[in-house]
Amino acid sequence: MLWIARRELASIFSTALGWLVLTGFLLITGVFWVFGVDDYAMAVAGGVYNPYDIAGLNITNNLLLPFFGNCTVIVLMVTPALSMRLFSEEIKGHTLELLLTSPVSTGQIVLGKFLGAVGFLAVLLLCTAHIPISLYWIAEPDPGVLVGGYLALLLLGSAVLAMGMCFSAYTGNQVVALTVTFSMALALYVISFSETDPESFVNKVSVSTHVIDLIRGAVRTTDLAYFTAFIGFFLFATHQRLESFRWR
Amino acid sequence: MIQVEQLSKTYGPARAIEKLSFEVEKGEIVGFLGPNGAGKSTTMRILAGALGATSGRARIGGIDVFEQPKRVKAMVGYLPERPPLYTEMTVRAFLRFCAHIKGAKDPARAVERSIERVGLKEVANRYIDHLSKGYRQRVGIAQAIVHDPAVLILDEPASGLDPAQRVEIRKLVRELAEGATTVILSTHVLPEVEAICGRVIIIDRGVIRKVAPVDSLTSATGVSLEVQRPSQALLDALAAVDGVTEVADRGGGHVELACARDVREEVARVAVDAGLLRMGPTGGLEDVFLRLTGHEGEA
Repeated sequence: MLWIARRELASIFSTALGWLVLTGFLLITGVFWVFGVDDYAMAVAGGVYNPYDIAGLNITNNLLLPFFGNCTVIVLMVTPALSMRLFSEEIKGHTLELLLTSPVSTGQIVLGKFLGAVGFLAVLLLCTAHIPISLYWIAEPDPGVLVGGYLALLLLGSAVLAMGMCFSAYTGNQVVALTVTFSMALALYVISFSETDPESFVNKVSVSTHVIDLIRGAVRTTDLAYFTAFIGFFLFATHQRLESFRWR
Repeated sequence: MIQVEQLSKTYGPARAIEKLSFEVEKGEIVGFLGPNGAGKSTTMRILAGALGATSGRARIGGIDVFEQPKRVKAMVGYLPERPPLYTEMTVRAFLRFCAHIKGAKDPARAVERSIERVGLKEVANRYIDHLSKGYRQRVGIAQAIVHDPAVLILDEPASGLDPAQRVEIRKLVRELAEGATTVILSTHVLPEVEAICGRVIIIDRGVIRKVAPVDSLTSATGVSLEVQRPSQALLDALAAVDGVTEVADRGGGHVELACARDVREEVARVAVDAGLLRMGPTGGLEDVFLRLTGHEGEA
């Protein structure tokens, strides 16, 4: 299984797409960070004339939190591009047959490929780590936010990857998988935006409500359970799809 | 080594294979022969574990293919019709990956051994994407033998290869069988079967037509003739040849003779007299090609 994951990770790095995603991700997060710092600096500068305006201003709430919030949107955008090829390429290149006729279980194939993609996501996120960590030189932001923020990004990304992998296995077509995955992920993200009742069903299924709690540094069992169930469901669906190949 | 009993597979309403039963002994090379769409690939995919069967049983090394697929897959090497290759990898990296997921005992050595055996040494560090079709096919075979399987299932191993490469593949398959590997290979190239297989299973539209040693099939037990317009006079003349037991006009100019002994010489004489003889060059085109490209005598 680890060999499948390892091959997957290496394969992402050997394609132009992998590097494109990496570059794009770093570029956009960097730009968001620069804008964030700029806004924060302006606010602080404004405080010179009116100290009451910036009474509640702090680096955790006004710089780090918005940064992670922006990152969730970027993760949402780039992960479907990673997941779209996971199985469609295996089907197109006839390499799925190699995996299916090797002495590994279907579960190991699915998990291996998923872990490979998550590994790449982890690399992506690690590459941005210098940004929030640099803050610790000049201030003392809440470390809970740092940990929660990265956990949220990793879980959100993994969830989208699992969903995308599933669509990739079902459609066998990269473009269709990309479109469907991105639309679904976006829909699940924005569905709760106009919802005011925190106990409503919409709020419970929406990805963003669970992500926001985590970013604030509040790691709750319900949020973790949500993502575990989300990922588990799509891994299982992918597994069933692969099993069906034997019976067609 | 391989036992297949009453194996059937249907795709929706379409029947791919129907109640196939055959056995293959250890160290045998068996050729699956049949036109395209006869069910050769389906049977092989079922044996390799890529496909389930609708009914019937298949055992490899005494282990049921459907009940313990993992154990069976560990001892089967399979080359599908289109070699499954991760083209963004180098040959060596790809084979290393295969050795690991197929559970080869000493992966590093297994990789080098299969590279050596299939003749991939000079391209071992090149990307598969940059290789010619012949080399890709070889990588496909290397992938199938990397974990030293007891059974090798090769679906059209020589397709897309030039005659010299075909000869090499034949040699390799023969060597493997000498080392007690059981081989099933499919092809629709008849000379290939003659050259390497001990037995053939002829399959057509999902049904086995004949299972027999190659020698018994190639020695003359009948003669078939292509005649433009078989006249009754010709048929009578053929029937009169000593040794011919039956003359059958199959229509479309196809005449088949059943005979008790080799009657080709007499039949040829009758054909010449009837003005029906056609002549071709001595030796096949394959022989000529091999001679010109310097691989003579390897076949």
